[in-house]
Order: sequence, then C-alpha cells, then structure tokens
Amino acid sequence: MGLDGSLTLSTLLMRMGGGLVVTFQIFIITLIGSLPLGVLIALGRMSKVKPLAWFMRLYISFMRGTPLMLQLMAIYYIPYYVFGIKLNLLNIGPMDIAGLHVEIGWVMTACCIGFILNYAAYFAEIYRGGIQSIARGQYEAAEVLGYSSAQTFMKIVLPQVIKRILPAMGNEVITLVKDTSLAFVLALAEMFTVVKQIVASEVTMIPFILAALFYWLFTILAEFVLGRIEKRLSYYHD
Amino acid sequence: MSDTNKLLDLQHARKSFGDNEVLKDISLTVEKGEVLAIIGPSGGGKSTLLRCCTLLETLDGGSLSFGDCVVTTDQGGVAVYGGKDVLKRARTHFGLVFQNFNLFPHYTVMKNLTDAPVSVQKVPKAEAEAKAKQLIGKMGLEGKENMVPCELSGGQQQRVAIARALMLDPDILFFDEPTSALDPELTKGVLRVIRDLAEENMTMVIVTHEMKFARDVADHVIFMDGGVIVEQGLAVDVIDNPQHNRTKAFLLSED
Repeated sequence: MGLDGSLTLSTLLMRMGGGLVVTFQIFIITLIGSLPLGVLIALGRMSKVKPLAWFMRLYISFMRGTPLMLQLMAIYYIPYYVFGIKLNLLNIGPMDIAGLHVEIGWVMTACCIGFILNYAAYFAEIYRGGIQSIARGQYEAAEVLGYSSAQTFMKIVLPQVIKRILPAMGNEVITLVKDTSLAFVLALAEMFTVVKQIVASEVTMIPFILAALFYWLFTILAEFVLGRIEKRLSYYHD
Repeated sequence: MSDTNKLLDLQHARKSFGDNEVLKDISLTVEKGEVLAIIGPSGGGKSTLLRCCTLLETLDGGSLSFGDCVVTTDQGGVAVYGGKDVLKRARTHFGLVFQNFNLFPHYTVMKNLTDAPVSVQKVPKAEAEAKAKQLIGKMGLEGKENMVPCELSGGQQQRVAIARALMLDPDILFFDEPTSALDPELTKGVLRVIRDLAEENMTMVIVTHEMKFARDVADHVIFMDGGVIVEQGLAVDVIDNPQHNRTKAFLLSED
C-alpha cells in the first residue's frame, strides 16, 4: 500500500473528484425523477381502478424483488437486444443549451432511468404508508369545505404525509448515496468505478479509504439536510 | 321553490350498512333561523343522518334538498343523486362542525380559516383575512391567529372549526356532537359560541348529548332511536315532558 511517484495525492483526488461529480449527478437526477414518480405509483397502487392497482402492485414487487444491478444492465441493453438500436445512437448531444456544452452518453441516461424506476417503487410504498395514515376526518373536512380531490391531496394530505414519512425517506436517500456505486456495472465513470480502476492500476488501497470517507461525508451531508427539513416541519404535531 | 324558508328538506330517508338498516324512513325539514337538536342513544342513527345530510354518506332511498338545490330525488324508493356540479353547489349551502374538529394541523388558525375561501371560492386573500379576524374575535380567539391547532385547547380548536365553517357563509350549519370530545370546562366555551349563533338566528342542526343545552337553545328536538324518529316537537315539550317511554328512559339515563 502506498503512492508512488506516478500518482500524487492531488491527482488522485482530482480523478476521484471527477467521479464524485458523476455520483452526485446520478443522486440528484434520481431524486428529481423518483420522488414525484413515486407519488404517481402510490396513487395508482391505491386506485379504485383494479387493473391499474394490480399493475402497480406488480411493478413495485418486480422492482423491489430483482437486483438493481440487473435492472441497470437490462435497461442499458434493451434498446439493442429488443429493438435493434445501436446504443451509440442513443447518446444525447453534443449540443449547446443556454451556452452550456451538453453531451450525455446512453450509459448515463440508462443508469438514471434504472435508478429512477427502482427508487420510485420504494418511495411509492413509503408514500402509500404515509397517505393511508392520514385520518379520514381530514378528507371529510376538506370535502365539506368544497376542496377538489386534487386540492385535498396537494394542500391537505401531501404536506402532512411528507412530515410523517421523512424518517423512512431518509433511509432510502442515504441508501441511494451508496447505491450510486452500482453504476460501475455499466462502466459509468462515477466515483466507485474510478476508484476501482485506480486501485487496479496503481496497486494501492488508499483510493478505497478515500472513497469510504467520501461516501460517508456525502451521507452526513444528506443526514444534515434531512434533519433541517425535519426541523422545519416540527412547528406542528398531530 | 314552494317554500323559500325551507332550507333543508329531507323526505323518506333510508340508509343501510350491509344488513344493518340505520335510517328507516326519516323525514325532517329545517326552516330559516330554526335550531334543531337531534338527541338519542349511540347507534340510533343520529350521526348517519347528519352524514347523509352533509353528503359524506349517500342515501339508499329518499329525497334531499337545500332550498332550491335538489341533491337527490326519490325514484321508486331509490335515491338518485344529481351530478358532480349539483353536489358541489349543494356543499355551498351548508357547513359542518365535527366531533373531532378535524382542523388542518399543518395550517395556522388564520390559514385554516382563509384557505377554503381563497382556494375554493376565490375570495381575495385580504378580504378573507379581514373576515377571519372578525370571526376570530367573535370566537374569543384573539392573538391565536398564528398558532397551529396543536397549540390550542380542544375547546379553542372547536371554536376555530366553527369559525372555519362560518367563513363560507353557510345557510345552515350542522354540528356532529360538537362537545363530546371536550371536558366540561371546555364544553362551556363552545356551547356559548353556539348559543350566540342561535341568537343571531343562524340556522343550525345539532346532534348533541347536552340535554340542558338542547332545551335552552333548540327550537325543535328530534329524538331518534333504532333508525326512526321516535318523538319530535318543541324542545321544551320533548325534553321536559316526553310522551314516549323510550324518550323518557333515555332522558332519565342522561341525567
């Protein structure tokens, strides 16, 4: 174990930093996609339209019952093996959006789709638990006051649900920080992939140690943000 | 249409839950300015009757209308409901105060009062807030505007709930055992507020266990048991001088 002249600590950190940016991108994009998608799946799962409810049930069961790693690989290869589309045709860009040079490879897109679809299933079940814990009387009060179903959900139910499910969501968010490392199966250059490459080529354990610290710091940051939100919502209890 | 003073008209209401027939041919009318108290033992159908009137339950049979807003018509013994727009319009005619208040815990007192007028009836926010301030004063809740329900006593919460219902200017206000979740000390404040409303000629239907209050405040009393109206009449007559044995037995047990 040790760093020889060919890899200084600063170049190591630079390379890992590049990976960390990708890790952070996967994390944020997954949350932006799966948090709202989870609401829709939960509502579908609780729908009175039986086929929809059954489909969502099946979806949740499948997404939770098969490995995320397998799902990532399947999504990556589906366009080619099922539709015969060359995967490099699915790269987005390069193009300029608002002065920014954007280029998104299919690997990144497939990875984010996989994470969003998988995490939305877990979030949906947490939402469902939260929604079902809201007292009947809240719906009845809203109904008598003339709120539409959409208003009742968005203004009365959802805000209360968010407060109740925050601890459970915290678990998932922290798991997601570490699950981003599964993107290595697609050879996406997120932090863990980069670290593995360095460890293999430089014969040193140090990148693993640094990676552990990075993930830990990342989760501490997530815990901090979740704690702040929890505190903001602690102005009432019911 | 025939009688513009008739704010609530319920005829031949029937309702069952499975095999359990909870309402058996109930008819009642409420006139403008009238206070009607519904008394009777638990399980007698009082709450179901109120919930059918406030559209939280659907009738199996019978007709229901608020003024000229016809909610259901009786067609061969089956209650046929109007469309969504009819139900929506019907809801503007009445307000409901629940036993458990059902305030929105994440909203302040002010927001509990103003949110429905602003987001449902599109009343300008400033206008709604001015009206809310007035009602908060009337309910003896000055200074509580920015508190959330969990910071208030049960009695205060129930007064907020009454104010919330009044914000929408209902023609008729329903109360479902408004003081049953309160201890005697807190009950007083809520009953005083309802009494004040009665003096202002607010039309009200009150399901209650407070016999003395019913006699003092209500014009008419209905005694319900086993899904039927056993006895009805002027409040003083029914409560001080009941005719039916079941009413007598119930009133004795309540003392």
